[in-house]
Amino acid sequence: MSLVNLAHVCSHLQNASRARLGLTSIPVSKLHVALMLGLQKEGFLSSVALGGPSPPKPFLLQDSIADPTPKHKISDEPWRVFPEPDEVDEKALLESWAKATNSPIPTPTKATTTRSMEESYEESVPENPARRRLWLGLKYWNNEPVLSKMKLVSKPTRRIWLNSDDIGAIVRGRDAGYVKGISKPGECLFVTTDRGILEARECAEKRIGGMMLVRVV
Amino acid sequence: MSVCRPARCLFSKPSRLPKSSSHHLRPFHTTPCRNARRRPQYPNIKAEDLNLTDKHASERYPAYKPDEEALLAKKYTASQLAAIKAAEATIDPRDLVTQGQERTDPWRMPYKDDLAQVDPILDHPEKIHKVPGNGKFRETTFYEQETAIEQIVNEQMAKLYPDGLPENPDEYDQADLDGAIDAATMQAYLDPRTSYISDSEEATRALADPRYSVIMPELPRIDSRAVRATVTSEQQEEVDPRMTQLLLQLGWPKERVNAIRTKTLVAHNVTNQTRMGKIRSMYYLTIAGNMNGLLGVGEGKSTEPEEAMRKARILAIRNMKPIPRYEGRTIYGEVEGRVGSVRVQLSSRPPGFGLRVQSLIFEMARAAGIQDLAARVPVSRNKMNTVKAVWQALINQKLPEDIARARGKKLVDVRKVYYGRSAN
Repeated sequence: MSLVNLAHVCSHLQNASRARLGLTSIPVSKLHVALMLGLQKEGFLSSVALGGPSPPKPFLLQDSIADPTPKHKISDEPWRVFPEPDEVDEKALLESWAKATNSPIPTPTKATTTRSMEESYEESVPENPARRRLWLGLKYWNNEPVLSKMKLVSKPTRRIWLNSDDIGAIVRGRDAGYVKGISKPGECLFVTTDRGILEARECAEKRIGGMMLVRVV
Repeated sequence: MSVCRPARCLFSKPSRLPKSSSHHLRPFHTTPCRNARRRPQYPNIKAEDLNLTDKHASERYPAYKPDEEALLAKKYTASQLAAIKAAEATIDPRDLVTQGQERTDPWRMPYKDDLAQVDPILDHPEKIHKVPGNGKFRETTFYEQETAIEQIVNEQMAKLYPDGLPENPDEYDQADLDGAIDAATMQAYLDPRTSYISDSEEATRALADPRYSVIMPELPRIDSRAVRATVTSEQQEEVDPRMTQLLLQLGWPKERVNAIRTKTLVAHNVTNQTRMGKIRSMYYLTIAGNMNGLLGVGEGKSTEPEEAMRKARILAIRNMKPIPRYEGRTIYGEVEGRVGSVRVQLSSRPPGFGLRVQSLIFEMARAAGIQDLAARVPVSRNKMNTVKAVWQALINQKLPEDIARARGKKLVDVRKVYYGRSAN
């Protein structure tokens, strides 16, 4: 568990947020993955994906690769731009239309897209673990980054472990064991425990102690 | 054991040891301590056991005798009588004896049970909602006005001198009399009867009757020349063109702008060195707030102190911005503001904490309507920059709703839900 690398990750995420990047990557380690999943759960990150040196394909492009829809088709049938209604509904609609106009039931053209992420796209993760990267989607709201500050609480040379009582005090906004309380709105503190990396509030709820990792605002 | 002790001591039963009390305390003083609860020499007898309360109750609040009931039946209907009896049956006379007290405070009701009387001060003042007579009014002619004034002056003088005017007045009496006549004439001019008249005398009298509601739409408003003259003389002030512009920009009524609390927090001299010599001017930094969530900071500089002060005040009012307040009393969490090398840390506090902050921040918090606040200005304490930093910090608070929205979370303020408070 290298806190040096974690410190690099903290600075990198702050820099990336300030530069208003949409997607960034960090080196992969078990600690990083667990912490980033925690951040995603708290809503700081939009996506966490394992990948290679090049970024994973954006979600929106994946469909078009799996099922390229010719452009002229959209110009002919512009309603294809909108999501298709359920097949059953469409059938019932066509029947009712035929009844009303006394015309034969028109055969509906098969829907062109069926969105299914698992079928349409597979990200290739390099065999060599050293070449793997963890790709993170950053979030912005009202022209401000959602993740603006991320700082280590334990340092590589001075790790801080706290028991559940101290974590409870910190969650309530009081200082405990050389750690400042959670006082800013929306502040999160991540703690590594024997049950994985948890947010400090979860730890207080479950009465678990652990090592302080990072403070995120 | 000494030899001289008789042998029967050895064979006799050991004497009983003193019983240890329930709470054993080692005495550090010479006063003998009382271990157990002290009991009185004689047994306590309660008044209840002697049936004293019942006796007093039946004496003080006896049941109605048949002749009394007959008297009551003369005054009240049967249903009212039943209600009175039911109400009296719900109150145990023993409770009245043991707990009942007559109020002796100055705010007690002047009556005990006669609710038919209406006290004009304690109860709602009497209002009449219908104008008597035909209810039509017209403006008075000159002759009618003179008559009305004469009548009203006479009325007022009669009120001031109920025993009649003094005969053979000396100097002091004459001065008093002149003053009274002036006051009565002024009253007469303010009286609506001098400006309006109705064909029916009742309606004309109703104009001066205070029992008629002021907002009664049928009665005409006072619009006499004398009243208009007094009102306009009060309103005549020098008009600042920037003030009129500010009023236009804000679009507020003048009273609302005048109610804004402004205070000059920083004032110092500024000197500009030119080739002609030094030009000294005054600098003022003023804050403005409506004590309810708006706060502005304005700076003014001029060679004339008055001018600079006015400039700063108007700018402060124009710069007023809304400040988010949690529950209308404190800020949201901890905020930091930086201007220059001044760093200000403001933090929210629980209800009743007060404004435990330095003077500048105290004034700003009062103007903004914040009641609970703590602040630290750790390093540099330049007054001007402190004020600006606090303003920046208060404006740039991050709201929990925004944070929740940004993170895609659902947010509920448990305090509001639990206590059913209204959102502020």
